[in-house]
Amino acid sequence: MRSVGSRLIVLAVLSIGLAAATNAFLTVSNLLNVLRQASLTFLLASGLTLTIVAAGLDLSVGANVGLSACLAATVIKSTGSIAAGVAAGFVCGVVIGLLNGALITALRLPPFIATYGMLWVLHGITYWYMAGETIHDFPQGFRSIGSGYLLGVPVPIYLMAVALAAGGLFTRYTTYGYELYAVGANGEAARLSGVPVRARLNLVYMLSGAMAGLAAIVYLARLNSAEADIGEPLTLPAIAAVLIGGTSLFGGVGGLFGTLVGATTLTLVLNGMNLLAINANWQPLVTGAIVLIAVGVDIATRQRMESRA
Amino acid sequence: MGNGAPFVPGRVFSKVPGVAYLLVVLAVAFAIFESRFATVANLLNVGVQSSILLLLALPMTLIIMTEGLDLSMGAVLSLSTVVMAFALVNGHSVVAAVARGAFVGLAFGAGNGLLVVVGRIPPFVATLGTLGIAQGIALVATDGQSVVGVGARLPALYRATWLGVPFSIAVATAAYLVFHTLLYHTRFGTYVPALGGNPDALVLAGVRAKTYHMAVYALGGLTAGFAALLLTGRMNSGHPIAAIGMEFDAIAAVIVGGTSFERGNGWLPGTVLGVLTVGILKNGVDLMEVPSSLQVASIGLLVIVALLVDQLRGRLRGRA
Amino acid sequence: MIPEKKAEKTPVVEMRRISKHFPGVRALDDVSVSVHGGEVHVLLGQNGAGKSTLVKTLYGAYQPDAGEVFVDGRPVRIASPADARRLGIAVIFQEFSLVPYLDVAQNIFLGRELRGRLPGMLDHRRMHEEARRLLAPLGAGFATDTLVHRLGVAEQQIVEIAKALSQRARVLVMDEPTAALSEREIRTLFDIIRGLKAEGAAIVYISHRLREIFDIGDRMTVLRDGRNVAALRPAETSVDELVRLMVGRQVTTTYRQRFCGSPGDPLLDVRNLHSRSGVADVTVSVRAGEIVGLAGLVGSGRTELARAIFGADHRSAGSVRVGTQSLEGGPSAAVAAGVGLVPEDRKAQGLALIRSVRDNLLVAGLRHLFPGGWYRPAAAARSAADLIARLAIRTPSPTRLVKFLSGGNQQKIVIGKWFTAGARLFIFDEPTRGIDVAGKADLYALAEELVGQGAGILLINSELPELVAVCDRAYVMRDKRIVGHLGRAELSEENILRLAMHHG
Repeated sequence: MRSVGSRLIVLAVLSIGLAAATNAFLTVSNLLNVLRQASLTFLLASGLTLTIVAAGLDLSVGANVGLSACLAATVIKSTGSIAAGVAAGFVCGVVIGLLNGALITALRLPPFIATYGMLWVLHGITYWYMAGETIHDFPQGFRSIGSGYLLGVPVPIYLMAVALAAGGLFTRYTTYGYELYAVGANGEAARLSGVPVRARLNLVYMLSGAMAGLAAIVYLARLNSAEADIGEPLTLPAIAAVLIGGTSLFGGVGGLFGTLVGATTLTLVLNGMNLLAINANWQPLVTGAIVLIAVGVDIATRQRMESRA
Repeated sequence: MGNGAPFVPGRVFSKVPGVAYLLVVLAVAFAIFESRFATVANLLNVGVQSSILLLLALPMTLIIMTEGLDLSMGAVLSLSTVVMAFALVNGHSVVAAVARGAFVGLAFGAGNGLLVVVGRIPPFVATLGTLGIAQGIALVATDGQSVVGVGARLPALYRATWLGVPFSIAVATAAYLVFHTLLYHTRFGTYVPALGGNPDALVLAGVRAKTYHMAVYALGGLTAGFAALLLTGRMNSGHPIAAIGMEFDAIAAVIVGGTSFERGNGWLPGTVLGVLTVGILKNGVDLMEVPSSLQVASIGLLVIVALLVDQLRGRLRGRA
Repeated sequence: MIPEKKAEKTPVVEMRRISKHFPGVRALDDVSVSVHGGEVHVLLGQNGAGKSTLVKTLYGAYQPDAGEVFVDGRPVRIASPADARRLGIAVIFQEFSLVPYLDVAQNIFLGRELRGRLPGMLDHRRMHEEARRLLAPLGAGFATDTLVHRLGVAEQQIVEIAKALSQRARVLVMDEPTAALSEREIRTLFDIIRGLKAEGAAIVYISHRLREIFDIGDRMTVLRDGRNVAALRPAETSVDELVRLMVGRQVTTTYRQRFCGSPGDPLLDVRNLHSRSGVADVTVSVRAGEIVGLAGLVGSGRTELARAIFGADHRSAGSVRVGTQSLEGGPSAAVAAGVGLVPEDRKAQGLALIRSVRDNLLVAGLRHLFPGGWYRPAAAARSAADLIARLAIRTPSPTRLVKFLSGGNQQKIVIGKWFTAGARLFIFDEPTRGIDVAGKADLYALAEELVGQGAGILLINSELPELVAVCDRAYVMRDKRIVGHLGRAELSEENILRLAMHHG
């Protein structure tokens, strides 16, 4: 793990600072809220993390959430079945992920172009599909996925824990996860070592899509309404979470725990801004600036890493 | 490596640029299936609508030729409309207002250049970051609302026509001439394909490659800021997120026009054709009352078709 | 060094007693070469003899550790390619300095564009006229507004020459200029060179194609192991003598104890292999217990063949069999069949520098060690530790990042990772490059152990003495084909060089 310790320290310092700055921070309900929000961001960013570890990128995750959530919403409303809706959203996410993988491995488009184009195509399809309508009022059972509590702890936090555990299992205890790091560190060397690089890339983009599909369900449950723009503000924070957490944009380094720390850090910053009554319009700006800083740190660290001792 | 002699129709097919085919096919198709398409008024409309896109696509062509990308253009343009609108509301002349908008654009472009060339940050990340920053500033300054009350001089200018040519088309034509001259008749223009195709050659030739590289991004920002003239004129106001996503159309137009991410390959006239193709596609789709949201999906499809057509032409020409 | 005794006019360029060291290697040792105007001076020598280093010193990419360079009799310091250019020294690169999507005239004038009358604007007409004027005596058949990427290699070379001439170069250095040219194009190039000679230019010509050297050369300098061993004129010498001069170092180390008396089953059977990278109609075989050499000079296609066999480059025709099964597909199929490749560029292609020793050792063997897909860290750590011990890889810990290890230890990892993959056929591409004597001994001892246990090795090595000392037999390549096979008794540096160089 790449200096997760220092990032945890940053998180701790931030928390202390916020606790000092405002009374509203250190309450149980606020902290649980922060964790809930961080869990949502983490769920979305988890698959994205793996694509970045493999030296790729998935810019379409936000738009993926948008379409998958809207699809799930309509299925729930029309069939009355929560299970069908969840399945629909998940499958939608997976299919998008597979399409990204195909664009990148078969058509050999650079990942940022392929997923950026996918982003806009999904955006358009979602807007067309929703035709300006909003779907809201979902059954209580469904809503509890996003807003509910279990033993006093918000449900998304459990989901986050499961995702973290599953992801950790994947990256540390399967050969597939192991090979992702090899591909990210040096794709050509991995290929010449017998790693089926294209198959691994297809897998990782599928996973990114799948996690976006799952995140879509949770977001939908939390917001209790589906509109075409539901996914728009999600991509930048997801990327920020991954980068803040120490996963390198150039691949081969980092992991899911870092992304969790990153998601929490980012959520803390935005939460702090809310508590301190800073205009919400500043948030995209701050997120953008954080992304640039995180990348700058990444590049500086990477250069040190790659030069000879 | 050719696989046998290409048949003659194939040779002709591969010489005409792919975008020309797309343009003709689309124009003919729409003319046949939609009666309102092939009228002078409608075609002029396409021209006007495409003018802003051309202003973004021209510098984007240069940036892509250096194997880079600028995702912040839409946000910077939006911010510039806000800046321009504020200036007009405060009583400044149109020229002064445009200058301010352009200056803001230049600042962001220079910032992009610094991040990419000096900071060595991959262009899509760097410009994604500046996108957020530009968008953020615009939203904070306007609280998400339009900036209205820009006075009468701008709309009058925007609606003016000279010898039947609308203002925006005139501006777009002038911009094209400027960029054409820049790219094909100046040192700067000679170095742009080199930056993408073989930057080592520039360094070996003793050229200050980094300065020129940053200038390409600065030019992008400047032009995006200048384009606020047309957009503010069209909306009769400034709006913080009016142009979000326009960079995607610009990138699509550039790629459809034949410029690729490959080693400095680029063709400016192709960008004009690409912009027209995108413009016709949008217009036709609009007239046929397909929901505007599907337009984006259709543009994505257009890009894929353009890429496939180019692959096919390449294969017929005998490149592997 | 055989000094020139006759009194002559001042050489255009004189390199006097140049020495250049790199860590572990003495690339140039007290080398003196004089290049006169109106002459073609050929630099001759094996791979690694120092030709490339000498040229790089001449055009400013390297600074000599000792010695001086004189231009027209005046001592100069060439600190950069720009300095070299200003002194009139130009090197004809092939891909290096041309921009693909600019036209010929733009490339010739890159960085020195001609201004027009309006400020900031270029005078294309004059540049094209000038370009045409420069190209005319070179017999160029293409228009000056052709985009350079459309030109063939020979034509690009002509553009490079025109570019050098436009910078008033008086010394042109050409490094293997005929490598990618057809017979007719070589004729044209030689006509150009003769024309340049007539105008007083000095040409430094590096090549190993003996027939060409005798055809175009006026003087020759033979380098061996970084030293100048002879300065001759073609008329005074013969192919045999040149080969003898280029070879000649006695083998001081015995790398192999016991050669393979009775090779076992066929491990590798390649027939009529063609590849997209240019390999043409290659048939080779390796049997269990053998170390088979693949010899040839730079550009002969050895690495291309290795990669084609491994599946790293696309095979377009022919067959590859490993053991009894036919091999189709890319590297992952080859690895599954028990083939391992130790690539030429170990850092870029054989290692993930930012990963640990353990991770690099395990990556190729994952599917062999954990066929079900479940990675068990404890078992993995044990396998890695075993390997580290067995190969005597010197590292403070298995988790140390590979970039911190020495070249020799890095190479052990690149080879060792195939052990966990159960490889039986190894392809080694320049495995001892950049490694010291102790490291080489270790590697060859390892190789001997491997073949003793029934593995087979295909060995590419440009150090001919090593190749001869280690291999049971060898194939010789030239121009991407196999031109000969030498059994143990016939295996010698002379025989290899003769086959590798004979251009006919």
